[in-house]
Amino acid sequence: MIITLLLVVLALLGAPLFVVIAALAMIGFHSQDIDLSAVSIEFYRLAEMPILLAIPLFTFAGYVLSESGAPHRLVRVTQALFGWMPGGLAIVSLVACAIFTSFTGASGVTIVALGALLYPALRQAGYHERFSLGLITTSGSLGLLFAPSLPLILYGVMVQQLGVGRPITIDELFLAGVLPGLLMVVLLSSWGIWSHRKVTLQRFSWREVRDATWEAKWEMPLPVIVLGGIYSGYFAVSEAAAVTVLYVLLTSVLLYREIPLRRLPKIMHESMMMVGAILLILGMSLASTNYLIDTEVPNKLFEVIRANISDKLTFLILLNIFLLILGTMLDIFSALVIMIPLLLPIAVGYGIDPLHLGIIFLANMEIGYFTPPVGMNLFISSYRFNKPVMELYLTTIPFFLLMLLSVLIITYWPALTLWLPSLHR
Amino acid sequence: MMHLLLRITRFIEDSTMILLVSIMILVAGMQIILRNLFDTGFGWSDPLLRIMVLWVGLVGAMAATRERRHITVDILSRFLPARGKMVSGIIADTASAVVCGLLAWHSAHFVLEEYQGGAAAFDAVPAWACEVIMPIGFAVMALRFFLSMIDRITHPRQAEQSA
Repeated sequence: MIITLLLVVLALLGAPLFVVIAALAMIGFHSQDIDLSAVSIEFYRLAEMPILLAIPLFTFAGYVLSESGAPHRLVRVTQALFGWMPGGLAIVSLVACAIFTSFTGASGVTIVALGALLYPALRQAGYHERFSLGLITTSGSLGLLFAPSLPLILYGVMVQQLGVGRPITIDELFLAGVLPGLLMVVLLSSWGIWSHRKVTLQRFSWREVRDATWEAKWEMPLPVIVLGGIYSGYFAVSEAAAVTVLYVLLTSVLLYREIPLRRLPKIMHESMMMVGAILLILGMSLASTNYLIDTEVPNKLFEVIRANISDKLTFLILLNIFLLILGTMLDIFSALVIMIPLLLPIAVGYGIDPLHLGIIFLANMEIGYFTPPVGMNLFISSYRFNKPVMELYLTTIPFFLLMLLSVLIITYWPALTLWLPSLHR
Repeated sequence: MMHLLLRITRFIEDSTMILLVSIMILVAGMQIILRNLFDTGFGWSDPLLRIMVLWVGLVGAMAATRERRHITVDILSRFLPARGKMVSGIIADTASAVVCGLLAWHSAHFVLEEYQGGAAAFDAVPAWACEVIMPIGFAVMALRFFLSMIDRITHPRQAEQSA
């Protein structure tokens, strides 16, 4: 108990999370008289999971995309398609951000790469400053529920490693996220349409649609190939990741010639630092989780909770409150590896499907991205648009309420999540 | 002397990373082309790719340690005054150096046992050669955390800005 407390203090003082988890695992193994090289043996399991290849490949592809002209072209195409509608540009922003984030894994690059294009466009089209800032800040994490987002993959990996409850596949998880993700986009879009119904509109032009599409002709097939390949079962996830990298390199280096070859090492360096940070936490959590399972901590926790909460509904309400608070303090990857080993057995005990738990979890974390004190999107936006964090926080309140509504719908209407995967089976 | 050593490790690390990522992309790409167009493949490409994920992860983590880019919870230290930040940084770095040192030591132990056991990871590649990145990686990270701690003590201002 004292040791756990000390470790929490260490984390709060700013020690890297992998260090804290590694310390926990080592203390655990030591207390059971197991040789500490067990931590290394568990860590080595990183080299035994084929799916993990997707993490470096997708991350690298995402970094390359965000440095290319792809964000610009994506905005132009969506603007040509939706710009004529009331609230059209708001929808443009939401759709473009969702697509981009699903490929870049909500590492904050969405705000940097797309926000810089969308914010001036929104302001020019007559959208309020507050609305525009709030929209961009919120959109930075929108799209986490769509394939091939990294947190979704990581959740699948965690569940497969734990072996608790019904076995699930990453493909199923990708299907489960589709409708809840669309729900969020639709709700936020409706707000954009309603709040700006008097903004003057851009005329629809077939010519602009044609020109924009022509400009983006090399990239347009990418989402189709990757998503079509994954959802049809033609590609395994890691194969889809390899195809994405090759495709992105082909377009941005050879066809558009936007990224010179000599720039690639720098992008590799940047992206692999992020990959290293994620994999290290994942590897250490493999060791600590094993220890947790051996000591039956999750089971004991479940018994305590079960004795106090009898029904599933109350549990779900408490789960939502807990996850919202957690999301304000931890980033999504840390939250996943720390909480899923504890939460999954409990949720399964209450009869919640692992797919449903995953979507509830990630949906709550999406909100955490733009809530203080440590919402990453707030800080990136603040840095990018040179506004105080508190001011940005206030601009996100209407979006926060709408996201909260989506989270509640997702939580209490399991069919929304489970219907598509059930068709697949 | 120390400076030169750091520059050499940095060079080795950066080139290893670029080499790893490039080979990874090439092998993964080749595998898909072989499977789809020629309906064949190499038996070694799957295990090679899996082990490369471990290597890329550790080399990336070494670089992340160098640039203080690890994922932290960091709720408290954000709000501390300059002196408090320095103290919390020193405590965090020291603990991290100790933990990484222990990880390096025990990984080395594990690799040594595998070396003596002589098991193969795949084809003729011995298991220890795949695992050897673990002690190396954690040892480099331990060293970097230690140096970062020294840096915080000797150059309090600079360390603050670079963090």
